Amino acid sequence: MRIEISGLTKTYRGGVAAIDGLDLAVPTGMFGLLGANGAGKTTLMRILAGIVRPTSGRVTVGEHDLGTGAGRTAVQRDLGYLPQDLGVYPDLTARQFLDYVALLKGMDDRTVRRRRVGELLEVVALTEHADRRLRGFSGGMRQRVGIAQALLADPQLLIVDEPTAGLDPEERIRFRTLLSQFAGRRTVLLSTHIVDDIGQTCREVAVLAKGRLIFRGTVEELTRRAQGQVWSVVTDGPAPTEGTVVSALPHDDGMRYRIVAPSAPSPGALPLEPGLEDGYLAVATGRGNASRQPASPPGRRP
Amino acid sequence: MTTFVASLRYEFRMQVRKRTVWIVPALTLVLFVLIGGSLLRDLFDPGERPVDPRTAVVGLAVQLHALLSIGFGCLLADRLIRDDRLRVASILDATPASPRARLLGKYVGAGAATAIPVAVAYFGFAAAYAVDTGEPRALGWALAAFGAVFVPGLLFVAAFALAAPLVMPAPLFRVLFVGYWLWGNVVSPDMMPTLARTLVHPLGGYPLAALFDFHGIDGQEAWAGPIPGATLNALRPDPTPALAWLSIALLLIIAAAVLAGGHALRARRVR
Repeated sequence: MRIEISGLTKTYRGGVAAIDGLDLAVPTGMFGLLGANGAGKTTLMRILAGIVRPTSGRVTVGEHDLGTGAGRTAVQRDLGYLPQDLGVYPDLTARQFLDYVALLKGMDDRTVRRRRVGELLEVVALTEHADRRLRGFSGGMRQRVGIAQALLADPQLLIVDEPTAGLDPEERIRFRTLLSQFAGRRTVLLSTHIVDDIGQTCREVAVLAKGRLIFRGTVEELTRRAQGQVWSVVTDGPAPTEGTVVSALPHDDGMRYRIVAPSAPSPGALPLEPGLEDGYLAVATGRGNASRQPASPPGRRP
Repeated sequence: MTTFVASLRYEFRMQVRKRTVWIVPALTLVLFVLIGGSLLRDLFDPGERPVDPRTAVVGLAVQLHALLSIGFGCLLADRLIRDDRLRVASILDATPASPRARLLGKYVGAGAATAIPVAVAYFGFAAAYAVDTGEPRALGWALAAFGAVFVPGLLFVAAFALAAPLVMPAPLFRVLFVGYWLWGNVVSPDMMPTLARTLVHPLGGYPLAALFDFHGIDGQEAWAGPIPGATLNALRPDPTPALAWLSIALLLIIAAAVLAGGHALRARRVR
């Protein structure tokens, strides 16, 4: 299911532009979405989920136009959505909650619905807690219920916003693998702050800033944006002020800083091979090298 | 239809499990009996109870409706806003289910669950009265009174209870609702403007007067019609059966309009 977004703008009351003239094509498969808080990722996902209406622009998912009621309903029939601010009904059990969402997704056949709910409880390792009220679930368990509800109707389009938040490392890896296996011929749009999750699952990625697209390309291309800009600095003094500190590790001679900066941030700085996180930071801070592919068509803002 | 039924079923299930749904009416009744409880006691006193079983159970309906609807409205006040408060709304809004059908299911499901203790109390007292007096007709009148007096009034209250907290905090709604209920049902309309005895009186003055020929336990009270010197008399024509049905229809139309307004307001905010 290919997503085509052109000239998309969403301005909330009070004149706050969450999305500002966005053009983006999302192909089938896993696609990552990165950006700082307030970049417009969640608004974009809520528009794609048919919850929020754009102020202007056009969005098509497959052959359906999200600008029409019929188009939104058609997309929602094939949609799995895991919101960032996931909530559940505390007075229902996990099985009941999933059954309710399945009914709202149009899964009318009771036998099919019960089987599917059971399968997904197994997938997210909640079978033994299936008949416990959600009130007593931990954040990670609730997140797993959220993941299960998103997969209920075997969606062709899966939109997941910060899906690994609240999961322990093992659960995170399990969920990443699940997403990759699930993607296949489907479209999975993954938004996260955890850059490593993108690197482990997505071939292509987009970076948003202030509602605009500032990068679109492969994960390798994003990584290369930091080529020649990643440095290792060891010092027992204060952290270098030049560039963006990616990490700081205690070292025998003080602290070892990993820094993204266009030039050596201090005389003893050693160049390093960039990683995806470095590439993201280089792009997000506006220091990334020029892209071979423009993020937006000519004539639009970059 | 599936959406409506699913929403009704799960909203009913969630609401009926709330302990407060049972505790609030039970405490209200206990307190009422302790502080006097007039008819609730008199029903079982051969020297005090009305001779006519219709008067007895319709009078009981009026008293319980006036009393238990307060808790009914307060208990429903969080139902619509809680989807947003619990952060479940995004998941539900992303399904292809019609938001209107979901709202209607919530309204009927949560409303029915909250009305169950009210019905249990009413039919419990009516059944006990029927057994005590050997008057099975009392149960027939109780059924009729529940349908024509309780149900429209509760649907009216439920619509406001769901929608009003969209424009004000739920605790404030509860305070205002209790104030309105006491003002509208206790204060005499010739002292200050109230909806009592009008066509839109949620206590069902017109059905009481015109369908049940009810004029109070002592037969001396007027439940519908004009009051000399009172404002809003334009809404108080002389009661007739046709006007009684019109009164019921008006309550339901207002309830539908309030719900539709709530739906439109929420949709506008989300989008």
